[in-house]
Amino acid sequence: MVERYVNMLGSWREVKELLTAFERRLNPVVRCNTLKVGGCGELVERLERLGYALSRIGWVDYCFEVVGGGVATLGSTHEFLAGLYYIHRGAAALLPPIALGPRPRDSVCDLAAAPGGKLTHMAQLMRNEGVVLGVDVSRDRMRALRSNVERLGVRNAVLWRADGGLVPSVFPSAFGKVLLDAPCSGEGLIMMDPSRKVRTGFEDLVRLHRLQVRLLNAAIDSAAEGGAVLYSVCSIAPEECEFVVAEVVEGRDDVVVEGLGDALPLRLDRGVEEFFGIRLPEYVRACVRVWPHKHGMEGFFMCLLRRVGR
Amino acid sequence: MREGSGLKCVFVDTASFVREYLTPLFGSTVEEALTRRYEVLVCSGLFSEAYLLSGPVAAVARRLMRSGRVPYMAGAYVGRVRRSRPRLIPSADFLSLIYSLLGRPVRAVVVGLEGLKPFLYGRDVLRASVRGCFDPLGRGEVAGVVGEDGLVYGVGLASVNSCRELGRLGGEDVVVRNVFDVGWFVRGSSGRERKFKV
Repeated sequence: MVERYVNMLGSWREVKELLTAFERRLNPVVRCNTLKVGGCGELVERLERLGYALSRIGWVDYCFEVVGGGVATLGSTHEFLAGLYYIHRGAAALLPPIALGPRPRDSVCDLAAAPGGKLTHMAQLMRNEGVVLGVDVSRDRMRALRSNVERLGVRNAVLWRADGGLVPSVFPSAFGKVLLDAPCSGEGLIMMDPSRKVRTGFEDLVRLHRLQVRLLNAAIDSAAEGGAVLYSVCSIAPEECEFVVAEVVEGRDDVVVEGLGDALPLRLDRGVEEFFGIRLPEYVRACVRVWPHKHGMEGFFMCLLRRVGR
Repeated sequence: MREGSGLKCVFVDTASFVREYLTPLFGSTVEEALTRRYEVLVCSGLFSEAYLLSGPVAAVARRLMRSGRVPYMAGAYVGRVRRSRPRLIPSADFLSLIYSLLGRPVRAVVVGLEGLKPFLYGRDVLRASVRGCFDPLGRGEVAGVVGEDGLVYGVGLASVNSCRELGRLGGEDVVVRNVFDVGWFVRGSSGRERKFKV
């Protein structure tokens, strides 16, 4: 693992910083649900009365890092049950909906939607207008997704329990914006779940890579011409990040990688261009990485693709 | 609503649905607002559930259904529709929608914090914790359970025929029997506890 990180980051000093960051506890983040809350200040006051200490995240004014605990668990307060907020494990999970930027009348698809953090965030950005199709294959996770959609007052979603790969067979070239937050090893979440240090073997990475390639192709096939596809994973393994993007883009003539610069409210690192001597196409530099030791969030990868005419 | 479980979804006439299920509960004011904005989808299997769908949401649901699939959920969840009384068990979110359309709650009790806590563990609402009341109420009919913050925390069946009857009850008497409370989102959403206790 350390050898892999040296290969990605290029220096022992930085690898040490990354490993140290993995040992730090990450505070959860509360996303104020503006579908139900008039002013987020009111929610902050309510949570502070319960003993929580909140710190506003500088780059998104409706989200707050929970820096001090309250009397009840964050997932059992009346405010949570009434749908006034969603709990994210870390701030990086807020980035994909912001980067994709769905607007009120958009037609959006979320190909791996459960448990719904990103889908409900997108519905919030869309002010419950337009439509977002949320697809997930897992029965248990679908229940959680539906609970979150109901709890948070999302009214512009259609939920479909199916493999995301089926979406283009029913909705070919249909959506203006598509999000694929793909199933992954979760290597970016080691600070929350240290078991992930050893859980993923090489065979697992190969299996996940194949699944991610298949789902990303489905995401592109379900995007309309000119439509945007945002690929993201909570992993820093290049096999699940730049290698997936490169394999998909090289295999098609109807998609290009776009820079995320203007779409994001903060500066992030570029994608990794070379890994163990394998040189990737230059366009993967337009993808972005969140590094725990640099950005103070969980490890994350995002890439914006645009479907173009053949 | 799960694929392969014998569920069928159909779009029904919005005006007829609203007149049959919603106007009797919430009055004719909601009729025009809902009929103008939404289509109604009813999905039936072990039980029947209704949804309000805006135009774009309905278009996606229709396309899905044309391919032989059924949506797991679509649009605003109205609640469960029944053949016997009460004909409709509204969802908490749907009650919020109705109250915002009307500008105030109807068929509801306002519950203080000390009563809200047990209610969110599945208990009934007792007279001692009722802080406000909105008619009409009917014995055995649905009643919204609203917190003093104005948020909808659940739905139940009223044990009284009007708000005036509250004066005759003792503190320990049940005013609203719990049918659904938002605590279920934590307690029962994994499938261990059924959603509506009717």
